[in-house]
Amino acid sequence: MMNSNATSSSSGVAGSTEISTPRRNSKRPKYSKFTQQELPACKPILTPGWVISAFMLVSIVFIPIGVASLFASRDVVEIVDRYETACIPPASKSHKVEYIQSSEDKTCNRTLRVLKRMKQPIYVYYQLDNFYQNHRRYVKSRSDEQLKYVRSENDTSACKPEDNNGLSIVPCGLIAWSLFNDTYSFSRNNQQLTVNKKGISWKSDREHKFGEKVYPKNFQNGKLIGGAHLNSSIPLSEQEDLIVWMRTAALPTFRKLYGKIEVDLQENELIQVAVENNYNTYSFNGKKKLVLSTTTWLGGKNDFLGIAYLTVGGLSFFLSMAFTVVYLAKPRRLGDSSYLSWNRNPGGH
Amino acid sequence: MISILSSTPVSPVSPITNVLPLSMVLFVSLVKEAWEDWKRFQNDKTINNTSVDVLQDQKWETVSWKNLQVGDIVKVKQDGFFPADLLFLASTNADGVCYVETANLDGETNLKIRKALEKTWDYLTPEKAFEFKGEVQCEQPNNSLYTFTGNLIIEKQTLPLSPNQLLLRGCSLRNTEYIIGAVVFTGHETKVMMNSMNVPSKRSTLERKLDRLILTLFVVLFCMCLIGAIGSGVFLDRKYFFLGLRGPALSADMNPSNRFVVALLNMFTLITLYSPIIPISLYVSVEMIKFIQSTQYINNDLHMYHVETNTPALARTSNLNEELGQVEYIFSDKTGTLTRNLMEFFKCSIGGELYGTGVTEIEMGEAQRNGIKVDEVHKSSNTVREKGFNFDDARLMRGAWRNEPNPDMCKEFFRCLAICHTVLPEGEETPEKIRYQAASPDEAALVAAAKNFGFFFYRRTPTLIYVRESHVEKMGKVQDVPYEILNVLEFNSTRKRQSVVCRYPDGRLVLYCKGADTVIYERLAEGNNDLKKTSREHLEQYGAAGLRTLCLAYRDLCSDTYENWNEKFIQAKSSLRDREKKLDEVAELIEKDLVLIGCTAIEDKLQEGVPTCIETLARAGIKIWVLTGDKMETAINIAYACKLINNDMKQFIISSETDDIREVESRGDQVEIARYMRDAVKNQLKKCHDDAQNYLRSLSPPKLALVIDGKCLMYALDPSLRVMLLNLSLNCTSVVCCRVSPLQKAQVTSLVKKGARKITLSIGDGANDVSMIQAAHVGVGISGLEGMQAVMASDFAIAQFRFLTDLLLVHGRWSYLRICKVVTYFFYKNLTFTLTQFWYTFQTGFSGQRFYDDWFQSLYNVIFTALPVIMVGLFDKDVSASLSKKYPELYKEGIRNTFFKWRVVATLAFFALYQSLIVYNFVIASSTNSVDSSGKMFGLWDVSTMAFNCIVVTVNLRLLMMCDTITRWHHISVGGSILAWFMFILVYSGVYTPRGIYSVFYVLISTVYFYTTLLVVPIVALFGDFLFQGVQRWFFPYDYQIVQEMHRHEPDSSSAGLLEIGNQLTPDEARSFAVAQLPREKSKHTGFAFDSPGYESFFASQAGVLAPQKPWDVARRASMRSRAKTPRKN
Repeated sequence: MMNSNATSSSSGVAGSTEISTPRRNSKRPKYSKFTQQELPACKPILTPGWVISAFMLVSIVFIPIGVASLFASRDVVEIVDRYETACIPPASKSHKVEYIQSSEDKTCNRTLRVLKRMKQPIYVYYQLDNFYQNHRRYVKSRSDEQLKYVRSENDTSACKPEDNNGLSIVPCGLIAWSLFNDTYSFSRNNQQLTVNKKGISWKSDREHKFGEKVYPKNFQNGKLIGGAHLNSSIPLSEQEDLIVWMRTAALPTFRKLYGKIEVDLQENELIQVAVENNYNTYSFNGKKKLVLSTTTWLGGKNDFLGIAYLTVGGLSFFLSMAFTVVYLAKPRRLGDSSYLSWNRNPGGH
Repeated sequence: MISILSSTPVSPVSPITNVLPLSMVLFVSLVKEAWEDWKRFQNDKTINNTSVDVLQDQKWETVSWKNLQVGDIVKVKQDGFFPADLLFLASTNADGVCYVETANLDGETNLKIRKALEKTWDYLTPEKAFEFKGEVQCEQPNNSLYTFTGNLIIEKQTLPLSPNQLLLRGCSLRNTEYIIGAVVFTGHETKVMMNSMNVPSKRSTLERKLDRLILTLFVVLFCMCLIGAIGSGVFLDRKYFFLGLRGPALSADMNPSNRFVVALLNMFTLITLYSPIIPISLYVSVEMIKFIQSTQYINNDLHMYHVETNTPALARTSNLNEELGQVEYIFSDKTGTLTRNLMEFFKCSIGGELYGTGVTEIEMGEAQRNGIKVDEVHKSSNTVREKGFNFDDARLMRGAWRNEPNPDMCKEFFRCLAICHTVLPEGEETPEKIRYQAASPDEAALVAAAKNFGFFFYRRTPTLIYVRESHVEKMGKVQDVPYEILNVLEFNSTRKRQSVVCRYPDGRLVLYCKGADTVIYERLAEGNNDLKKTSREHLEQYGAAGLRTLCLAYRDLCSDTYENWNEKFIQAKSSLRDREKKLDEVAELIEKDLVLIGCTAIEDKLQEGVPTCIETLARAGIKIWVLTGDKMETAINIAYACKLINNDMKQFIISSETDDIREVESRGDQVEIARYMRDAVKNQLKKCHDDAQNYLRSLSPPKLALVIDGKCLMYALDPSLRVMLLNLSLNCTSVVCCRVSPLQKAQVTSLVKKGARKITLSIGDGANDVSMIQAAHVGVGISGLEGMQAVMASDFAIAQFRFLTDLLLVHGRWSYLRICKVVTYFFYKNLTFTLTQFWYTFQTGFSGQRFYDDWFQSLYNVIFTALPVIMVGLFDKDVSASLSKKYPELYKEGIRNTFFKWRVVATLAFFALYQSLIVYNFVIASSTNSVDSSGKMFGLWDVSTMAFNCIVVTVNLRLLMMCDTITRWHHISVGGSILAWFMFILVYSGVYTPRGIYSVFYVLISTVYFYTTLLVVPIVALFGDFLFQGVQRWFFPYDYQIVQEMHRHEPDSSSAGLLEIGNQLTPDEARSFAVAQLPREKSKHTGFAFDSPGYESFFASQAGVLAPQKPWDVARRASMRSRAKTPRKN
């Protein structure tokens, strides 16, 4: 491909200037820019000027972005409340696992103070820690076919050990089985704050990965209950908690969206949260946190990105300055032949 | 293995994604191998199908070589090659003699004589030959070219056979109409083939080092897996209830009650997971690159196309391209490689007057170096040029010599040239048509010179030499003068001279003598010191110019003296014991009181551009050794002519031609000779070695040169002396080995290859070079001439020695650079990729969960990062071809292996580590927080797709950063690769699959976070590389970088120049200089070298067998034959 291309562009020149016109049996290689390795090329040389201006450019681009994203991140108001220890009654402190597995009422009241005015929508997350949603056994223990198609109901081979208990489980697998089942209800001044649980999952998941006609079947019917039950009259595509949960997290510490509060919260307001503390993180010493957060164009509170931009921009600026100083103080003339190794130490090697 | 593992249940990835790339890789390499095999097969077929006449039922049938069997009677015609080792039965020549040229075996071009047993002389016609019934008993096939013992049993008589009856395959028949022979050894049993060692499959040093790198990677892989495996064993616990670690059906790899098994099985899981660290596609990519490099670049290079022979360069293997960029030692054959084997009468000095205005290549180079710009002197129109004569001076032509200061001297000079020789004229007796048959081309050149000066030697009878002399008595008069040849005092290596006693028609008795300056000067008559002095100066001047010199002298004899001496001579000649010695002694008696006439200078015509090429290569840090079958004097002379040796060098000569060795040899006790030789060689070596050490310790060490001959080499290669030889020779800038056998050539080559672990290249043109070509790392054959053996054994074939400059400095260097870049880049990109996976393992409870989708992982190497690196392998060049040749020193970077040291690899590994950490951590940071204003979170596949996205971009941009030239193909391929990734992911995540990856990318591109990350990650990741490169270039620049900068404003040397000059070298080299006055260089070296027929054939001398017939007799007989034949024709 390249060959023919190059030949056509130059064959005219080759033919006219050749001294020995090729005889019929001449083995003289045909001229082409490709075979003679003379393809036009630019030859970038990393001269000090280039180095300095590249660093300068990076700093010019990065510092504003860094400042912007840092401001965005600072705009975010985030309230984090760790409740898994606090929600165990003092009497049960020594046997948390038994407590959580018991059937008594595990409601627990928490009060949160709003540090700064929070504009709606306020996102409610739960954050788990030390929960390996990314474990190989866990990740593959699901059946995407089954979630989408009614006909694939029995397609549960990947779901062991939660594949069937006599009948196929829908949704099958460890992921669905271990669905998070703590619930939160918020109130402000004894006035209930509604939590909107619609639209907390990615649209594509809702519409394409979970079937509209697939209903939970035979779910959490085993001896061991892993987590939440599902309302078997609602199709999977509307079970948004499940959909969020099934988009497994990348890290063992993760947040998942619980719902949205669609009113503004004022500074220093107290929010009462009634937590139904059902989910067992005690057996593996996992933390549970409740997070209320606003967002900006860059998402939630994330100083990292802004700091990274600023650091890189600043470092580039510093380096470009440093190189400039070095360049002015002790310049190396470009192409100084005295730098050639055989000129530096004649007779050497 | 990875593929097999991936099909087992422990694998985290699906099998197809692993098998597909692997099978692609395998398929491509299979196709390549098949193609190369097929080409080799075609070549073999051509040779095998060469035809030869074989006797069948009293008729000659044409049969192809491959069907030849032992015992067949074959007929070989003049100039034909012997198809197998033949027992010589009969020849059309009288006395059952034939002449063979062994140039293919030992590089010597003088004809050798073979003689059939008298018993078999008659089997010449098919009818007669059909009656031939005999039995040959002989030794097993072996590789000694110079020995053969056996018996021919014919009619119940047992006749001993010697090498003299054996015609070796590879030789060709000369001066004989045809011969009849019986096949003794065929095919692989022939001596030539036995001499060629097993064809080793050659792999380049870089590739071998690459293997070590791969091995290291395996170790790294193992360590990573081990860490992961131990971690997984420790991690797994029933407390993680969500993992469902219960039930009887729990598989062994997830059973916390047997942690050891868990770790073990997880190990295999992790091996498949981390397997991309081993760049499988590296080998196939490198092979593809090399294949294109050799077929498209080397084979098509117009710089390496030789117009005269219509031969382009040919890379016969594509394995060794980058090896060409690291060669440190070149072993070169002489005849046919460095020289054209063409002797030309070039200059002479008569009576203290210099004649001849030609300029040798050396002098041209000298003049260029001294900056003398001499106007191009057009060759005077009267220059006579013919084979063996390239003399340009009107003062001697067409009788003009009569007006010179000493015309008498000139006359003697010309007569000496015309009379004192052993040349046979052939063909019509006119100056134009006559052909001189001489045992050495020097002699022919001298006689041809005499002819051109007007002394035309046209006929020889056993006693007379006829010379047609012009302008002797007066201008324009031509007369035929018969000179009676009374005695011929032959040439041999001890005497280094040759004399003829002749009687003029008027009765004047003269002894003409020609020989080495040293021996002639010893025997000159007293007086006339001025002439001696000027002649000596001229000799030195010639020697420095690389010419072969001979002194001419004569002596008038009075008949009394002669008669007295002749009696002694006849006596000596008929003595039975020590005849040689006695003859020498007698010759001494008459070869004295000589009158010096002058001296001749013959140019052993070098191949075009050889000295320049050698000088360039020397500047490139390459050491050149000459290994030749020729005599020591010739070899040294050529070494001078090629500027391998000059007078500033300290020379060590280890020779077997010393008086005491000769004396021991004359006693004939083989054991004694061997013992004595060993001691002598050991002492000489030790002395040279110590001297060399002393010289090297001195403040300004002189350059050293070693000259050693084959016999000494035989002992020096003994294991006990080998180390010393190696040390000595490695300290020498140039080494000349003369009179070495093909096997010794190979031994010397492997001595350096194995002993010094340096990269060697052998170049040669004949069958005698085959073993050397095969022994070296890289074998180069000179193509375009008749012999094919060297080319067939070689890895690269070029038409001219000087093309080595292009082959090494341009193709080799580029290839080395490119392959280094490709290999290190592969290493880097796979390491970076795998390390991100490794870091992720720590976050997944060491479970071996894959970070990337299966298809990402397998397509990473074959699609998303494959093409750009191939472009680098094809198009990258640091400096242009002409600059590569202008600054040959750049080549040293290859010799030092600057670009593929462990340090380079370690630096790269460091940056791979850095980049993987940057990519991993920056991307992972995104998963802890919501990423857009809708507050949603990324899942595993979102994060991994983003990470992969960053990696593909980073790695591809990193490639652009290491390019020295960027063609549009780079842009297309880099852009194409990144684009291919986007296309792929758009489709892959756009079309529903029951996988986590579905629609992930659409989620990603809907967030601002994705773009900000994509901007920052590659830049931060490449920040370190950029800084490193900037600092390195600024403060510790490589040579090539300086050269780049020096010529940064020049446009790439375009093809225009190349096309204009057709096949010439660069315009600079093509300029032809003529230098009238050269700075006179004082020299001790006078360049005596003369191949004379008197010298025993190399074959015989090696075997310790004296050639039974003196060539003079043979020559005489041959001349009679040719005379006898002429009338018959008429």
